[in-house]
Amino acid sequence: MASSNITLVAGSPGAGKTTWISQFLTDQSQDLFYLCPGMGRDSVDLVRIGYRFPWVSVIPENQAQTVLAGLPRQAQVYLELGFHLDLASPLLATLPCQRVAVLPPSLNQSEWHDWADEVIPGNDIQDAGRDPLPELWRSPLTGQVFDPPSLDELLIELTGGAYGKVMRLKGIFEMPDGRAFHIDFVQGLPGIEYTELNLPRWLQGRPNRFSGLEVVGHHLEQETISKTLLASCLADDVLAQYQHQYQRLHPDEETKEVFSI
Amino acid sequence: MKLAVISCIHGNYEALNAVLSDIDAQKADQIYCLGDLVGYGPYPNAVVEMIRSLDIPTCQGCWDEDIVEGLNACECSYPSQLAETRGRLAHEWTNSVIHPEVREYLATLPMTLKLDNLCFVHGSPSSQHEYLLPSMDGFAALERVLSADADVLFCGHTHVPYVRDLEDAALSVNVQQPDQTESPKQFQVALRQIVNVGSVGEPRHGRPNATYVLYDTDTAQVTLREVPYDYAKTCLAILEQGLPPIFAWRLARGMEFAERADDPTHVCER
Amino acid sequence: MTHWAILSGIEGNLAAYEAVLQDMRRQRHPVSDLYVLGDVIGLHGDNDAVIQRLQSPRSSEWVPQVCIGWWEEQCFSLHGLNSSPDAPELMAQFGGDGVKRLWESVSRESVRWLRSLHFGFHELDCLLIHGSTVSYADELTPDTPAIQLCDRLVRADANHLFCGRSGQTFECWVTPTRLRSTVTTLDGVQDPQDQGKTPRRVVGIGSVGRIPGQATYTLYNPESDRLNFRTVNYGKAKGFGATIA
Repeated sequence: MASSNITLVAGSPGAGKTTWISQFLTDQSQDLFYLCPGMGRDSVDLVRIGYRFPWVSVIPENQAQTVLAGLPRQAQVYLELGFHLDLASPLLATLPCQRVAVLPPSLNQSEWHDWADEVIPGNDIQDAGRDPLPELWRSPLTGQVFDPPSLDELLIELTGGAYGKVMRLKGIFEMPDGRAFHIDFVQGLPGIEYTELNLPRWLQGRPNRFSGLEVVGHHLEQETISKTLLASCLADDVLAQYQHQYQRLHPDEETKEVFSI
Repeated sequence: MKLAVISCIHGNYEALNAVLSDIDAQKADQIYCLGDLVGYGPYPNAVVEMIRSLDIPTCQGCWDEDIVEGLNACECSYPSQLAETRGRLAHEWTNSVIHPEVREYLATLPMTLKLDNLCFVHGSPSSQHEYLLPSMDGFAALERVLSADADVLFCGHTHVPYVRDLEDAALSVNVQQPDQTESPKQFQVALRQIVNVGSVGEPRHGRPNATYVLYDTDTAQVTLREVPYDYAKTCLAILEQGLPPIFAWRLARGMEFAERADDPTHVCER
Repeated sequence: MTHWAILSGIEGNLAAYEAVLQDMRRQRHPVSDLYVLGDVIGLHGDNDAVIQRLQSPRSSEWVPQVCIGWWEEQCFSLHGLNSSPDAPELMAQFGGDGVKRLWESVSRESVRWLRSLHFGFHELDCLLIHGSTVSYADELTPDTPAIQLCDRLVRADANHLFCGRSGQTFECWVTPTRLRSTVTTLDGVQDPQDQGKTPRRVVGIGSVGRIPGQATYTLYNPESDRLNFRTVNYGKAKGFGATIA
């Protein structure tokens, strides 16, 4: 067996898989790898891990086989399995690894329990089960910049069930002042969490870096959500106006402020 | 005399009916209405006809004005781009179904109504669009009451009812001008009140119930009323009329069809 | 050292503006910033000449920071650049002749430049604006009701409100000493709040060009909070007769 250490992490949506993994990614002295198969290149988690822990090698799906085959000695690998991934997948069966399930403490029996070597108690949320399997809806938003109050309202409606039952929502959104936020909602936990990403302000045209939304739930009205998202995005001229204003305010840090009625 | 003051019905006929029944049961002598009879809700004509048939003195709200003058609310009166898009949809729908005589009636509505020491407005004495929120600075709030030359100012527009007592105000002014001696002056105001009567048809206090206010002119007693009604009927009518389903979803949660503006002192420049 | 010169109401009167610039140059404490709070144009002078003078200050001069005033709004209205067309306020006060004269005396390029100006400036704890945040036409004077001055200061979100609409020079300290506010909602009565505040003031900065032969403007040192109203007499008969009022 290789001396590298592979940990597979599975569990119900919102239980805290990414949060549990994150605690191990802070150690910069180690050779750290993170993978999230089945999510393509641009998943919110993948991108956010890259932003938070720049020293971690975040491996896109299509390079997984190659990277796993040639891991350096002492490497620590964390493989996050989305709820939609079949635990009996042959890829997973052949890997020499430790299997961890992050699950709500109230859940006593599930296929995760049978699969895992270790069960970690996560967020105490209602597990809605996998029958029927919830939908995962993803909307890439790269280049879009949001009107902040519209985004607030949209998120309140979306998480409140106006467009179908939402169990989990995560996203990265761009703001007109050039900042980007990670947004996180778990059904059963209070509030919607906004975290500013540690990125340079994007004040020149449309941001050329990933942003997007991922929603897990049932009966999602995808078309209405898309329309409402679009209605909350800024048009070119409005964005240009905002950026112009922030550029003027930022170069000199004095208290000078343009006043408009 | 017992007054009932209602506002912001927004085409919600079910809610208006329930409130009128409650006013009847409370034995009010006179009803005043602070405007926004139309907009967002599915029955604008029926609401206006009801108010007219009962001869209720009514001020013009910003939605009534827009139906008369054409949509000219400045974009800054909407708190978000999303709210503006929805507001436009609601305006266009209302504009397409409104009867000509209803439009004419709305055009005749005055901006303010007075009754002795009471003044009735939709938003504030200075603008139909201004939100007098309970968090507004006390002196700015007092200025609105005094500019209306009243002791009690009744308003709506924010869709959340409250009573605000402004007591024992003291203000001093000292003018210094070239070549003139200083002239300190003191001003004192004992008690003024702002009464926001909430919203009949588009509540935003977190419950779907209609709200309005009772005022006893003899005792100056204010009573905030909250009246349950069959909002599911209005929600169904919203869907049947082809209005955006999100309006029904928000109504059922006491979230208002669109959103309120945040800036309490913003006055539209147009 | 920051030392502001704040003026308004040039109203096309280039000679008056030149006289004020000269007075500014003669100050013992050098002026560091120049604010022009609107009414650059008017009916009785050379509007385009004043605009060009403001646009291209000489190399040793201050770059004026200019905002919009009542006269500029009238001009925008005539050109269909704001929400009320045909300048009804101008028509009511100066009639068709006034409308015609204003229309003819400001070039298209000048209008475009005026349109790019701000509504006012927030600097430190000061708001510098032509009227008030309520409107460019809001005329504050020493006779304005106290509660209204107080309201304008609260809305300005500043301790010092410098304004030019009245054309007068004055300093008006307003102290909102106390006010007990009690709000009752559907959830019950909230605790009363005292809304008393520290003293703050409205400053009328004068008018450069409105009265021929006599310009008034204001010098202000935000560090020492010292205010100095200046009256500058100019014209053939007066010579260099600047007097401190």
